[in-house]
Amino acid sequence: MKTPDDQRGQAPPPQTSVHPKRTGVRALPDARPAPDSGKDDPQLTLLPPAPPEREPETEPASGQSLWLAVHLPHLALDALAQTGSASPGPLILTEDPAQPRVHDANRAARQAGVRPGMALADALAVLNAPIVLEHDPEASRRHLLTLAAVLLQFTDHVCPELRQQRILLEVGRSLRLFRGAGALEARIRDSLRQLGYTPRIGAARTPAAARLLARLRHPARPLDRDALRRTLSPLPLTVLPLPAVDIQALHGIGLERIGDLLRLPRQDLALRYGTRLPELLGRLLGDLPEPLPRFRPPESPAFHLEFDQEVSATGALRFPLKRLLLQLEQTLRAGNHRTQGLELQLLHRGGTTTRLTLERSQPGSRAEEWLELWNIRLSRLELPAPVRGLRLAVPHLLPAGADSDGLFSSRDGSRAESGFLTRLRARLGDDAVLRFAPTLHPLPEGAQEACSPDRFPALPSGGTTPAQRMAGAALWLRPLQPAPPPGPHEWLGRLEGGWWAGDDQRRDYAVTQDPRGRLCWVFRDLRSGQWQLQGLWG
Amino acid sequence: MSALEELLAHPGLWRGRGAGLPAAVPTRPSGFAQLDRALRGGWPRGQLTELIGAPFGSGETRMLVPVLAACTRERRRVMLVAPPATPWIPGWRQLGVDPEQVFVIRAASEDDIIWSCEQILRHPETGVLLAWLQGSRSAPLRRLRLAAGAGDACAFLYRPPAVAPQPSPAHLRIRWQADGDRLRLEVIKFTGGPIPAGQPVVIPRDVR
Repeated sequence: MKTPDDQRGQAPPPQTSVHPKRTGVRALPDARPAPDSGKDDPQLTLLPPAPPEREPETEPASGQSLWLAVHLPHLALDALAQTGSASPGPLILTEDPAQPRVHDANRAARQAGVRPGMALADALAVLNAPIVLEHDPEASRRHLLTLAAVLLQFTDHVCPELRQQRILLEVGRSLRLFRGAGALEARIRDSLRQLGYTPRIGAARTPAAARLLARLRHPARPLDRDALRRTLSPLPLTVLPLPAVDIQALHGIGLERIGDLLRLPRQDLALRYGTRLPELLGRLLGDLPEPLPRFRPPESPAFHLEFDQEVSATGALRFPLKRLLLQLEQTLRAGNHRTQGLELQLLHRGGTTTRLTLERSQPGSRAEEWLELWNIRLSRLELPAPVRGLRLAVPHLLPAGADSDGLFSSRDGSRAESGFLTRLRARLGDDAVLRFAPTLHPLPEGAQEACSPDRFPALPSGGTTPAQRMAGAALWLRPLQPAPPPGPHEWLGRLEGGWWAGDDQRRDYAVTQDPRGRLCWVFRDLRSGQWQLQGLWG
Repeated sequence: MSALEELLAHPGLWRGRGAGLPAAVPTRPSGFAQLDRALRGGWPRGQLTELIGAPFGSGETRMLVPVLAACTRERRRVMLVAPPATPWIPGWRQLGVDPEQVFVIRAASEDDIIWSCEQILRHPETGVLLAWLQGSRSAPLRRLRLAAGAGDACAFLYRPPAVAPQPSPAHLRIRWQADGDRLRLEVIKFTGGPIPAGQPVVIPRDVR
């Protein structure tokens, strides 16, 4: 029995001698519009293959799926470099404390011959005074999820693959918005670089092929089945995610390249090697669908950063904080959110934490604005202990209304003004800038409430209450304290109130001058006869 | 020559001696005829005014209520920096000051107070600044003087009596003292003109 794949095998084999190399010029993928790209079309497949090197790039029709695999091979190292304290010397990350092996190594260490997977002892033998740090899989996991949330700004279907340090994105429907696959890929690369990560990106019409191309740094971007087949055929079998024994067996029957494998009938392959191999081939070419879950970002995002060395000066926190704020900005943009407040935790040695919060009068997401405010706050902070990590959390997400408030603001200068009060609060603390709103409470000590500068309740109409007028127009309030009976004084009025709340108060208010010349605002409690100092007349 | 005069008129340039200031400093009426005469029109705007005296609560804030009320009627802000007590807003309201325009800034250290005042003076919506300075250093006042020149707010700095003999960059310095039912004001420095010598100005400290 012959399958379409088998028929296609009769055609001259595609050029197989050239292994794609990373070049400055991008090899353009084939994208001849397929009449029906989902199914095999024998007529089409019998056409002689186009030369694989250069093919005109056309964009896929919208609605066609295109997968990007964003592979982060040096995730843990990149995260470390963000702390700003990366040293030029060799640095290795180890895993598996029982039998230490190299998880990843920086450039200096790799140049000395260290490879991931090497035993730690071997690595130490070739390196001169390296920094050895233990790899924290949990931290890498968090970083990858943060990046997944960041990548949500490009598409709604994002799927992080934690163990492989890879994120898959379905971008077929985003292509028109971002003006094509090339531009989109560049945008993704830029935004990850800005956060300090160096991705390898592969693009293909199936997730399996995209993973493969990303790992190989293959520049092709095959958008239909034919192009995909042409791109994959020249690749050696060893790049397939198969156990070594299977690869050995395939080599044993004379197969070297993926193209050789694709030419064989799949059912025979299944009989001989089990169903795993034909399933893999089907997923690579898109004959078998590969459903991937959708990533849902957390409700209240948080961003972590652990340092490789402890930091004891606040100035050294700025660089890593900027990275976190950039992550925040992109995550908020992805979720179409803004925030009005942030919480920063400084994680100290020994498990203690310093919590700092910052509130702005206007919500926003831009990293630069937040950084300016945090710089003011941090410059005034005395670190109680060295800091070994930062955690930035968003307590409340706000929907992004118009980020263009300033453009159409009704009041002139409202933008400058909000910045002004926000700067004051950033330096002095959130509760250091206040306004007081009068209330209807009859007793002077309850007749006003403090409120933050961006919120002021509508004032009760009719001005002050009669009870408040009885107490007089004093300017300053003080905590109540007993006072000696005054000398000459001027009566203001009698205040009665609170009886309905079980707190019956009857007071005769007066102004008197004390020996130092102050004008004191006092009252006599009619029931006890005791004089109290309420405040200063001012 | 005109270039030189332009330069001398620049508010950022401080001449140590002589009548370097332009003749007309904009003012706000103080609400007291005798005081307006002594101050050549009223409280100066865009300049520092030092009010030196003790103790707090002797009527030195009430003296400024006409200015504060006029300022909030223009919907400009009254900023209180580091007041020694909490303002009782119903009282301010009875005197015609709009509570919505009154902001209280709590700051503990002298540095924070000076920094806040500087920010406030540079902001265009500030109408009146009242700041209570406990420290006796006059050097930071130079910065405030520049900031005040950038806007047109009335800047009142309450300072303790000990600073009276020190030199100060303020435009106007007044020593105040309670005297029975009156507040006695004595001008000890007034840039750009002779000190109205001899008679201190006396304004009533009425309780109504």
